[in-house]
Amino acid sequence: MGKMREFSLYVITGEQYHPGRSMLEVMEAALAGGADIVQLREKNLPASELLEKARALRELTRRYNVPFIVNDHPDIALAAEADGVHLGQEDMPIAEARERMGADRIIGISTHAIEEARAAERDGADYIGVGPVFPTGTKPGRQAVTTSYVRQVADEIRIPWVAIGGITPDNADQVLAAGASRLCAVSAVVGSSDPASVCRRLKEQIAAARGELVPIKLNGREEQVRAGTLEQLIQSYGLADKRIVAELDGAIVQRNRWESTQVRAGMTLELVHFVGGG
Amino acid sequence: MSSEQHQKDGLTIGGRTVNSRLFLGTGRFPSPAVMQQALEQCGADVITFAVRRVNLDWVQDDAILQHLEDRGLTYLPNTSGATNAAEAVRIANLARAAGLGSWIKVEISANPRTLLPDPIETLKATELLTLAGFTVLPYTSDDPVLCKRLEEVGAAAVMPGGSPIGTGLGILNPYNLGLIVEEANVPVIVDAGLGSAVDAAQAAELGADGILVNTPIAKAKDPVAMAKAMAMAFEAGRLSRAAGRIPKKRYASASSTPEGVPEAYWAEGDLGGRSISPERTAEQSAHTGLQAGSDAGAERPVTVKGG
Repeated sequence: MGKMREFSLYVITGEQYHPGRSMLEVMEAALAGGADIVQLREKNLPASELLEKARALRELTRRYNVPFIVNDHPDIALAAEADGVHLGQEDMPIAEARERMGADRIIGISTHAIEEARAAERDGADYIGVGPVFPTGTKPGRQAVTTSYVRQVADEIRIPWVAIGGITPDNADQVLAAGASRLCAVSAVVGSSDPASVCRRLKEQIAAARGELVPIKLNGREEQVRAGTLEQLIQSYGLADKRIVAELDGAIVQRNRWESTQVRAGMTLELVHFVGGG
Repeated sequence: MSSEQHQKDGLTIGGRTVNSRLFLGTGRFPSPAVMQQALEQCGADVITFAVRRVNLDWVQDDAILQHLEDRGLTYLPNTSGATNAAEAVRIANLARAAGLGSWIKVEISANPRTLLPDPIETLKATELLTLAGFTVLPYTSDDPVLCKRLEEVGAAAVMPGGSPIGTGLGILNPYNLGLIVEEANVPVIVDAGLGSAVDAAQAAELGADGILVNTPIAKAKDPVAMAKAMAMAFEAGRLSRAAGRIPKKRYASASSTPEGVPEAYWAEGDLGGRSISPERTAEQSAHTGLQAGSDAGAERPVTVKGG
């Protein structure tokens, strides 16, 4: 992936979604929850204020060792020592941005149709945004591209790409099922009262879709298990139809909650059953 | 009560009535099939289990349960493995989550060699689990005061041990057990240490409302026969207690009146006609007949409970 490190959860600022809380506070929560690339998007701000925010967010993302992207403005990105810039279809061409940013910076671009995706790949974009998958308040008026576009990109595009637009933990599995392996969220994360837990949930869903192995402690043993639901994990041990009880981090998970409970790295799981005894 | 009434007299614990007064533990049987047959022979309505981690390396048949679930049995999982009240509560919650009811046998061992129950933790766990809505049957030492305290914090029955688990030493302190029965307002189930049918009968004669047995049946040479023997012995003991035993005496009293014994007609010294001194015979039996274990109920307080 060259200059781009692998990422799975891309979070973009959206101050209109969290009145009363500062951008840095909310983004720090997202980072704590596992956001592994962050973009500053401010459409209507004087350059000086934008630069100030960019510098602050640069400092924060550096502390978390996470790449930082600035929307629309290569000059601000450079001045703030961002890792890259993100362009819209109406912004400057990729070639021009590349000239200004240099070869080592990341250039990403939003795409809404497969032709745009192909063009971006051909023109040397480092990654593309694919969306809006669902209707979103962040891009009002834009027609949702639906998961069929996600599927097209999954089939054809070889540079890194991230699905975006109206994605929440409730619909993320649909997008992942269409072939996405990276998700971007705005309002679902920054508009939440608990951005960290939304990020954790999305990361778990992505890890499950990717079939990643996660370390857990299972009946006292360190095990590497496939990310997914508790139901899938128990099934993988051939125990789903047995009369067993699952206890996750000290709390019993009723059988009807196995399907909606995600396997998380570092969790302690006990699976018990009845044996002969007096 | 008549013997027929007696046989049908159910035992009610926590609002639930069971017919058989023998509770069967399911551990250490030679095979699940033998356990099944033993269960059929003794007619137990209540069976006990332990809660353990699933073995992840191979999927076991949950044989203990797979043929039992349609029998209308009452399940009494235990908290064995717990060494304190908090662990017992955790195991109880795991057991209840399996969906087989909310009876729980509190079993908290303080010492791995004796497996004797920790009285303080047992009391704590009994109270906590009662508050959490369980029907709690604590395995406890045969201490009348502790049994009373357990009852006061909500035990649905008390289960004093006859002797340490699996020892087969029988009822080591019949006197205490008699006191426990006398004081209790909840059923008394003698749990642990029974060895064979004689101990089952003794428990019943002392007034116990039931027994919980595992090892003496599971590890008997013929578990199926022993299951039947112990169930019958308990019923025999109950019937015997209800029937009212005779007081123990030091000297014999003949079962026939002394009057009307036909007089001897042969000469003294004749082999066929040596007369027997009644005093001497009574003395002999007083010395040889009373052995430890057979004097159950010798000092038994007379109560009507359970009888």
